[in-house]
Amino acid sequence: MTEHDDREIREALKQSFPPVNTELRRDLWPTMLRKLDAHPARVPWYDWVLVGLSASVFMFFPQLILVFAYHL
Amino acid sequence: MDLLRRFALGEIDAFETLVRQFQGDIYAWIVRIVRDPSMAEDLTVETLWRIYRARRQFRPDGNFAAWARRIATNLAVDHLRRRRPEQSLLAEPAAAPQSDHLVQRETREKIQQAFRRLPAKLQVAAILALVEEQPYDEIADALGTSVGAVKLRVFRAVRILRKQLNHLGIKPGVERT
Repeated sequence: MTEHDDREIREALKQSFPPVNTELRRDLWPTMLRKLDAHPARVPWYDWVLVGLSASVFMFFPQLILVFAYHL
Repeated sequence: MDLLRRFALGEIDAFETLVRQFQGDIYAWIVRIVRDPSMAEDLTVETLWRIYRARRQFRPDGNFAAWARRIATNLAVDHLRRRRPEQSLLAEPAAAPQSDHLVQRETREKIQQAFRRLPAKLQVAAILALVEEQPYDEIADALGTSVGAVKLRVFRAVRILRKQLNHLGIKPGVERT
C-alpha cells in the first residue's frame, strides 16, 4: 500500500464524513442530577457479606460482643 | 482539600464542578466517534454516571481528563459494536459537505457503509486519526493501548476499506459520473 493510496482513502473518508459540531448544546448536569436521584447509593455486596458474617459470629459466640464493644 | 480528592470521597459539589468543567470535552470526543449529537449526549451522561460510580477507583493525583476520556471511548466503542451496520452513521450532519462535487452522494454512502462494517476498534482508530486528525498519542491513551497499536489499527482499517471499496467498484479519489 502506497502513501498515495493512504491519502486517497483519507480524502474519501473526510468527504464521506462531514464535520460534526463538537459544541455541547446544553448543560448535562440537571440530567446527571436526575440520574443520581433515581439511583441512590447502594450498599456493596461485600458489606452485606461482612454484616452476615459478623451476625453469625455473634450468634455462636455472644461473648465476643463485649470484646467488640470494648474496641469500638 | 482539592477538588479531585473531594470527588473521590463522594462529595456531590465536587462532582458537579467536574461535570461542568469536563462535560464539553467528553461530549466533543464522543461525538467525533459516533457522529450523532443526540447519541453523543446520552453517552456523555452515561460516561459521567460511570465516572461517579467509579470515583473510589480514581487516584486523586491522577489525570482526570484522561481517565474520563478512556471511559468515554470504551462506551463509544460498545455503542459502535451494538449499532447495526444499516443504521445511519450520520443522523444530522452539522454542516453541508463543502466538497459535494468531489465525491458523489452514492459513493459517500457506500464508503460510509463499508466503514460501518469495520470492527468497532478499527472504526474508532481510523475516524479519530484520519478524519478528525487527532494526535496518535491521545488516541492511544483513550483506547488504553500504544501508539504502535493505533497505527496498526489505522493501517488495517485502510487496507480492509480499500478491499471493500474495490469490491464495490469504487476507486477513492476518482469522481464517479
